[in-house]
Amino acid sequence: MADEEKTMPEIPKGQPFIKTEMIDPIFMMQYDACTRCGECEKWCPALDAKDGDRKYSPMNKISRFREYMGRSYGLKAKLFGSKRLDEDDIQDFADAFFHCSTCGVCATVCEAGINTVDMYEATRQQLVMRGNGPYGKTVNFPKLIGEYRNPYLKQQSQRLDWIPDDVEIAEKADVAYFAGCTAGFNQQVLGVCTARVLNHLNVPFIYLGEEEWCCSSAIIRTGQPHKGDIPKITALHNVEALEAKGVKQVMFACAGCYRVATIDWPKQIGRKPNFEVVHVADLLAQLIQEGKIEWKKSFDNKIITYHDPCHLGRHCGVYETPRVVLDNLPGLKFVEMDRIKGLQRCCGAGGGVKAGIPDMALDIASERIRDAQAVKADILSSCCPFCRRNIGDGRDSVYDQVGSTNYDLRDNPDNEMQVEDMIVLVAELMGLSTKIKSQEEEEEKLDHLKDKV
Amino acid sequence: MSDFVYYSGIPSFVVMLGIAMVAIVIFLVGMYLNMKKWGNGSASHFLSVFLKKINHEKYGHHPRQSLLSTIFLDIMLQRRILRRSPFRWVMHMLIFIGWIGMFVLSMVFAMFEMLHLVGIGNIDLNVTRNSLDFANEILGYMLLIGLIIAIVRRLAISDVSKRTQMFDWVLVLGTLVITITGFMAEGFRPDAITGAWTFLGANIELAQAFALFHVTISLLFCIAYIPYSKYMHMLAAPMVILVNGGGE
Ligand code: SF4
Ligand code: SF4
Ligand code: SF4
Repeated sequence: MADEEKTMPEIPKGQPFIKTEMIDPIFMMQYDACTRCGECEKWCPALDAKDGDRKYSPMNKISRFREYMGRSYGLKAKLFGSKRLDEDDIQDFADAFFHCSTCGVCATVCEAGINTVDMYEATRQQLVMRGNGPYGKTVNFPKLIGEYRNPYLKQQSQRLDWIPDDVEIAEKADVAYFAGCTAGFNQQVLGVCTARVLNHLNVPFIYLGEEEWCCSSAIIRTGQPHKGDIPKITALHNVEALEAKGVKQVMFACAGCYRVATIDWPKQIGRKPNFEVVHVADLLAQLIQEGKIEWKKSFDNKIITYHDPCHLGRHCGVYETPRVVLDNLPGLKFVEMDRIKGLQRCCGAGGGVKAGIPDMALDIASERIRDAQAVKADILSSCCPFCRRNIGDGRDSVYDQVGSTNYDLRDNPDNEMQVEDMIVLVAELMGLSTKIKSQEEEEEKLDHLKDKV
Repeated sequence: MSDFVYYSGIPSFVVMLGIAMVAIVIFLVGMYLNMKKWGNGSASHFLSVFLKKINHEKYGHHPRQSLLSTIFLDIMLQRRILRRSPFRWVMHMLIFIGWIGMFVLSMVFAMFEMLHLVGIGNIDLNVTRNSLDFANEILGYMLLIGLIIAIVRRLAISDVSKRTQMFDWVLVLGTLVITITGFMAEGFRPDAITGAWTFLGANIELAQAFALFHVTISLLFCIAYIPYSKYMHMLAAPMVILVNGGGE
């Protein structure tokens, strides 16, 4: 590093060491608005997961960046030139900066009203442009999504593969179902259950199929939107494709896609799309309240709790409708955990953390499992495939710990908690199949074999 | 004691005016540099974005609240702090009201002094000052109590003391010095009619020295220093709350 520094040219007078062209003037001002009250430190899941190492504190990161800005743009920098910053220090700062799930609880509690999430994302972009990010595997997102239109290396022609034979997709309808890549490729049970529930409720819907492109959430959250402009291209494509179908509503069951459609699409394309963005929980809650849902099955007096996905709750303000749904599921007693709604504890998957820093994602998810254990929940439900996956992993890790370290399970030692998405529970209690196409095909093959034998 | 020697508590109003001018110029230069920094090299770009965003549409289900609610509830009553910690809110409000209140009263008195100097109206400055004494005293104590709470909090609460930096101390201790010298200047004043600090005893020289010191560092620390320090949050935070419609 020292040698590198020697060979690096002096920054000419007036030229800053860290540029800021990607950071909106309001976000820049936000760095100076922090009162250093420390409230965000009490809530940050990343700081908790890092055992309080203050390098990961939101307040500390804000102070560090403000300091860099001061050295680059302050009075001294104006008079004597921008001060050379230590590259190792900047890299250390950037690493800490990417250890954040962009959950936004620091924004909710911030006494200065700082919109941290957007500010972090813009700053991440600046750091990426400078060569100080992103973190780990997340660097592949723009290439994958740019090339394949999804992050899972699948061909667009495979977009329809998840649809089982019993699911009816309309040619024309007022509603479109935007499944997203995760429900379409990776956790197909969510797509299958959503489609079956909509069919069951007589809500005709269209599906873009090969024309559905990734929402690009992962690229935006990790500060890489400038790489090929993918979020803008995919937003424009998806919005235009949906508008061309003449739909009035676009239905989402994935919190990440819903957040992008609600907040990022209008920003990317510079206008609001000509359709309403709806989460499937909104529709279900409405139908439940109108008494239009009939349940065919019931749980056996189990306790259920709900984890607000940050992308659905804190980012978009949808808190009540999933609760209405879960509270009305037969045979379940709904209880609230600690830290819910605006003050929810993130599961730790967002902001590229699951892909880039899986250990930290797991540690944060384990904390969420402990919150659910504290209220003796049998089922921990959410409305987001990423929460489902990561909290599920957290559950496995906590129960592994029980075996190895005798972790205190708060009087609930044998209760292996079920982590399940709301839509799967709904489908199950409506008496619908929750099997995905490949499982059904497998079963068919087995039956066939049995018949032969 | 002639009127001219002892108006605002310093020997010459002109001296104070000169220091005020310097402080304001330093402040404006600092603000310009900050706005330039925020606006990616252009202060006017920052200003135009700022003005545009005050009423921009918020996407998502958080509707933008009215501008009046933001100004009254979130900026003046600092509701966001109250939600998180009533204790911290009391501390903040004491400092905020004390600081702003005394600033406003100082401006009012300075205006009377100017009117008196140019001979408009028949103003008796001693009477005017004495009539403001009580309010000044109350506001001064609010500020002092708020600062003492802030200091004790930073020393006694381990979480807070761990994250406290020099940066934070400069602000708190600087304001404390200003507050105490203000009380001392008042206490030494021979014609002070109220105030617990009269125990210091009348001493016109000391009163004038403390008053000059108090006014000078008040202007330099509380105005000129703002854009170059943590004090900046006093302006930036309300501006942020304004554009973010009260915050998330
Ligand atoms: S967004 Fe969440 S994880 Fe990131 S700094 Fe804020 S509280 Fe911590
Ligand atoms: S809560 Fe807001 S003002 Fe307080 S330290 Fe954190 S970022 Fe700064
Ligand atoms: S996976 Fe869910 S809780 Fe976790 S970051 Fe994403 S939306 Fe938030």
